[in-house]
Amino acid sequence: MRGRALLRLVVVLSVFALVAAACGDDDATTTTGAAATTTTAAAGEDLVFGMILVGPQNDHGWSQAHYEAGQYLEQQLGATMIVLDRVNPADRPETPVEQVIDDMVAQGAQLVFATSDDMKDGALLGAERNPEVPMIWSSGDNAWVDGKDYRADLANLGNVMGRMEYGKMIAGCAAALTTETGKIGYLGPLINDETRRLANSVFLGARYCWENYLGNDPADLEFSVNWIGFWFNIPGVTLDPTVVANDFFDSGVDVIISGIDTTEGLVVAGQRAAGGETVWAVPYDFEGACEEAPEVCLGVPYFNWGPRYLEVAQSVIDGTFTADFQWLGPDWDDINNPETSSVGWLNGDGLGADAATDLETFIAGLADGSINLYVGPLNYQDGSVFLADGEVATDFQIWYTEQLLEGMIGASSAG
Amino acid sequence: MTHRRPVLHFRAGSRLIAVALALGFTSLLVAVAGASPIETFRLLWDGSLGTGDKFANTVMTWVPLVLASAGLVITFSAGLWNIGVEGQIVMGAIAASWVAREVDLGTAGIITLAILAGLAGGLLWGLLAGALRVYGRVNEIFGGLGLDFVATGLVVYLVIGPWKRAGIASTSGTDPFPREAWLPTIGNKLAPIAVILAVLAVVGVYALMRGTYFGLRLKAVGANATSAFIIGIRTHRYLLAAMAIGGALAGVAGTVQVIGFQHKLVPAISGGYGFLGILVVLLAAYRAAFIAPIAFFFVMISVGSSQLSLRLGLDSSIGGVIQGTLVLVAVLVGGWQAQRARHGAVAVED
Amino acid sequence: MSLELRDIRKRFGAVRANDGVSLQVEEGALHGLLGENGAGKSTLMKVLSGFIEADAGQVILNGRHLEMSSPRDAITAGIGMLHQDPLVFLPFSVLDNFVLGSPNANRVEAGAELRRIGAGFGFSFDLTAPARSLTVGERQQLEIVRLLWLGAKVLILDEPTTGISATQQALLFETLRTLAAQGMIVIFVSHKLEEVEALCDRVTVMRRGKAVGDVELPAPMDQLVEMMFGRPLEVTGRKPGGPGEIALELTDVCVDDRLVSLEDLSMSVRHGEIIGLAGLEGSGQRTLLRTCAGLIEPKSGSVRAAGVDLTSRGYHHHLSSRIHYLPAGRLEEGLIRGVTITEHFLLAGEQTGPIIDWAEARRRADEMLREHSIVGTTESTAESLSGGNQQRLLLALMPDDVAVLLMEHPTRGLDLASADWVWNRLLARVAGETAIVFSSADLDELLRYSDRIVVFFGGRVFKVLDARSTDSERLAHLIGGRDVA
Repeated sequence: MRGRALLRLVVVLSVFALVAAACGDDDATTTTGAAATTTTAAAGEDLVFGMILVGPQNDHGWSQAHYEAGQYLEQQLGATMIVLDRVNPADRPETPVEQVIDDMVAQGAQLVFATSDDMKDGALLGAERNPEVPMIWSSGDNAWVDGKDYRADLANLGNVMGRMEYGKMIAGCAAALTTETGKIGYLGPLINDETRRLANSVFLGARYCWENYLGNDPADLEFSVNWIGFWFNIPGVTLDPTVVANDFFDSGVDVIISGIDTTEGLVVAGQRAAGGETVWAVPYDFEGACEEAPEVCLGVPYFNWGPRYLEVAQSVIDGTFTADFQWLGPDWDDINNPETSSVGWLNGDGLGADAATDLETFIAGLADGSINLYVGPLNYQDGSVFLADGEVATDFQIWYTEQLLEGMIGASSAG
Repeated sequence: MTHRRPVLHFRAGSRLIAVALALGFTSLLVAVAGASPIETFRLLWDGSLGTGDKFANTVMTWVPLVLASAGLVITFSAGLWNIGVEGQIVMGAIAASWVAREVDLGTAGIITLAILAGLAGGLLWGLLAGALRVYGRVNEIFGGLGLDFVATGLVVYLVIGPWKRAGIASTSGTDPFPREAWLPTIGNKLAPIAVILAVLAVVGVYALMRGTYFGLRLKAVGANATSAFIIGIRTHRYLLAAMAIGGALAGVAGTVQVIGFQHKLVPAISGGYGFLGILVVLLAAYRAAFIAPIAFFFVMISVGSSQLSLRLGLDSSIGGVIQGTLVLVAVLVGGWQAQRARHGAVAVED
Repeated sequence: MSLELRDIRKRFGAVRANDGVSLQVEEGALHGLLGENGAGKSTLMKVLSGFIEADAGQVILNGRHLEMSSPRDAITAGIGMLHQDPLVFLPFSVLDNFVLGSPNANRVEAGAELRRIGAGFGFSFDLTAPARSLTVGERQQLEIVRLLWLGAKVLILDEPTTGISATQQALLFETLRTLAAQGMIVIFVSHKLEEVEALCDRVTVMRRGKAVGDVELPAPMDQLVEMMFGRPLEVTGRKPGGPGEIALELTDVCVDDRLVSLEDLSMSVRHGEIIGLAGLEGSGQRTLLRTCAGLIEPKSGSVRAAGVDLTSRGYHHHLSSRIHYLPAGRLEEGLIRGVTITEHFLLAGEQTGPIIDWAEARRRADEMLREHSIVGTTESTAESLSGGNQQRLLLALMPDDVAVLLMEHPTRGLDLASADWVWNRLLARVAGETAIVFSSADLDELLRYSDRIVVFFGGRVFKVLDARSTDSERLAHLIGGRDVA
């Protein structure tokens, strides 16, 4: 009896080992085959590119903006997109980013976009492992020669980021022009250089318009930031953005500005407005984000990744790709020009007519350079000097913002 | 006193019936979603075994699942529903991460210590659930669930608190560990040490349950704790021991996850392999011999399913649907057979 | 009308429950089916009544071969079976239970029929009373009427006298005689010789899955016993022996165990002594046994064994002091379902290193099976054994050097031979200095084997008697709470 059982275990294990071994042999050949195809240069319609999204491709936020940029490339070039969404350790514990990169390369991708700050480790590793394949890590800084984390060895991994500071300043301004309670809430994702930079920009925009267009005392503007812990809600791990948004409104905030990838802030505002409350929200990332609750949407600052991604794709086709760091602002002639402006702002239905007029003035001021909010004196939250009186911030200073600014309520880093 | 385990004494044939039924159902589902079932299964196969890297990735996913499942065979044998397995994986991962971050003894030293620390972390967490059950009369399902939450809370706290990346507070994870703390690999991913650990766990659990007094007593406690106690077995010790071993193996699973796969600590470090392991063990009818192939099959589906969205545009949650259907059908077929067996064979009990 | 079973064969795993059994019964006869537990009687009757399908063989009623795959087929053919404990849906009313399974019946007419048929036998029913208010005997009556109403021509009764009162038994026997006289075939299954003798006209004796022979009754008792057991049987009595040292001693023990509380109980058991615990179920016997076993902690007082204080030391300490406990629930608190006989011996025996030598374990288990005449294989699971064999296994699991053996109902549900075998074993142990404390509901058993009898009433010790100077009448009175001496 025991003999038989043992025999069975041995048989099962050996069959298993045989299958495993057989599959192991299989691999080598496929890998080399795949590697060979990736080196061939291609015309537009032959271009295959990979798009790795951190959230769902229809999130009405960050991921969808990237996904639609990919579709834009398909339209413009006739290229083919391979897309995998929800690439993060919570949704796909068994699929690390570098594995997805390898997969896409094996599937013929000649260019891969890794489109989240969260993909840093995987993108660096994937680029290392596939040095012949051009890649973009969006929102990253590894290709910035003057940046803190410059990786000279990764000649195939470039960066793209929009100068969303402008979009966020406009958002802050719209909120300040609208709020009736003088309390604005910023629904923040996780805390890092990028998110501090954007939160500060919202604050600067809000304070400027509060003071200059409404003639109010900046001390009367209450600006609080609440971080959920990640780019979007992961149940049990992050704070629930729906709960955070409701808490904001319960505490007297009447405008929520979202910094997360998804639209909970706007949805909650829509629900509360339907319940008779006077509240508004500003979503983020995606041109169409206001659709979830248009009547309470003041507008949306959004990314337009298409133009830069198209240039990158073209450079790959032409064989002129270089891994560089691109931090691209709006096309001030028309910040909503889909072919030229990397960052845009669309007014929402919730924005009042007077506020819209002032906002237009503000945007014009940003465009002609008469308004620059990153000029000293500006102090950090702990009272230390960020910019001395009259000092104009450098790109480096803005990118690597160390703290929230004086006057903002909320954590600059986790305790 | 103990929970009845679902009756799963089915014959080998029924497992095949279950697989066939589950595959049939899935094919139908895929066909309704507008894709070809054959293409779907081919992609699952290719996506998990198609290349050396994919195979390595599949194996490295298989390892923690097998480790957790092996531990669950022990706890199920003792009649315990170790729902706390997820927390035990997490605690193992945390302990191993501490070693990987803080200890500098060279690769061999770090890895040995990390494995031991992970084992101890999971063991203590399992023992805690066991002690709640034995001394606090807290059902291990609820105790385990509570401890799962505590462990997740702790890992989130560590990741955005003391172990956060410089200047960053994100639940996305800690900085990658220094390379010395990574399990050495053949090629990009495949870590032989991890595979050895998994094989040792399966063989060890099989031998323990088949060949030792300890395993036999565990089985007795699981089947009827009252009788086992009257026969003279100190049932509490065996319940605690089962939770300790189950937890230890889960802790090693967590260790492999951090130093062999993610190379950093992330909140979702358990990968859900604890709960998946429960399904594996149910399907394996609590038998150690079957968990390796069944776990491999499950992992193939998990890993391969990302190909479905890459190539067919199918929602990749179809992988989870296949796994769930499989277990459901297996349990149904098993129950149906058990019922038939009861009808056919009324015991000789004049 | 005639019924014939021809060469019925049925196996359960390695056990041949029916090994080519043939049986012929004519109408108007009260036919007994006699055999010890595990002889295959129930299996045969389950085949006849469609509960299980035979591997081979035929059932012929009035010259017609019957193909039955369910009890419904059987009752359609006119064969009805009355089980030991009739399956009744307790929350439902008597009438509901009566028409259950006949969904098209008119309830009013059915109720009238129930009363009419029942009245013919002296049964009376409250149609609206819930079935749970019925005694086992009344449930049997209900079921008999139901089977007759459904058109049963053949009535099978499986051990119907278990759990019913003497009055009900008399009524039942009268009913069966009437039915047989009306031309029905009545098959009465029992392991109790006296009942078969009192009731039946003819008997078929079964042993080990085979029909050993048919006998017209009355017949000599010895002949039937020998057919049942394959040998003549003597009921073993108790040879008085001199008790030795004190094996277990309770001093001023107070125990609270739900409804039962024992107060200031002092008693001692000597090596070689047997103490019987008498009383209605739940009067405190179990509490005393469990206190002696260390499963219940006394509120005050002390428990000592061989000079060692065991008070509040727990069950496993008692075990190490060689005090063993054998509860009544054989499969609930003794044996383990799904665990084989070999494994049971391993669990109960001494551990030899961490690794099990399976070949050796199987060899030893096989030896024990033979030594204790247990019908089963080393790989049989506990639940596949008959009650008698389970009890034998439980005794076989006890080590030889038990100092005090605490037993609940050592022979409950066992046939004569098994019961006698059990007591032979126990007496051998007593001769080897073991002390035994046992509870029983069988007054004869208490009187036959005990040195002293402790009578419980209403949750406390009512009387302690010397067994040799007591008779069953006095004992019965005491159990009922009346001290007439």
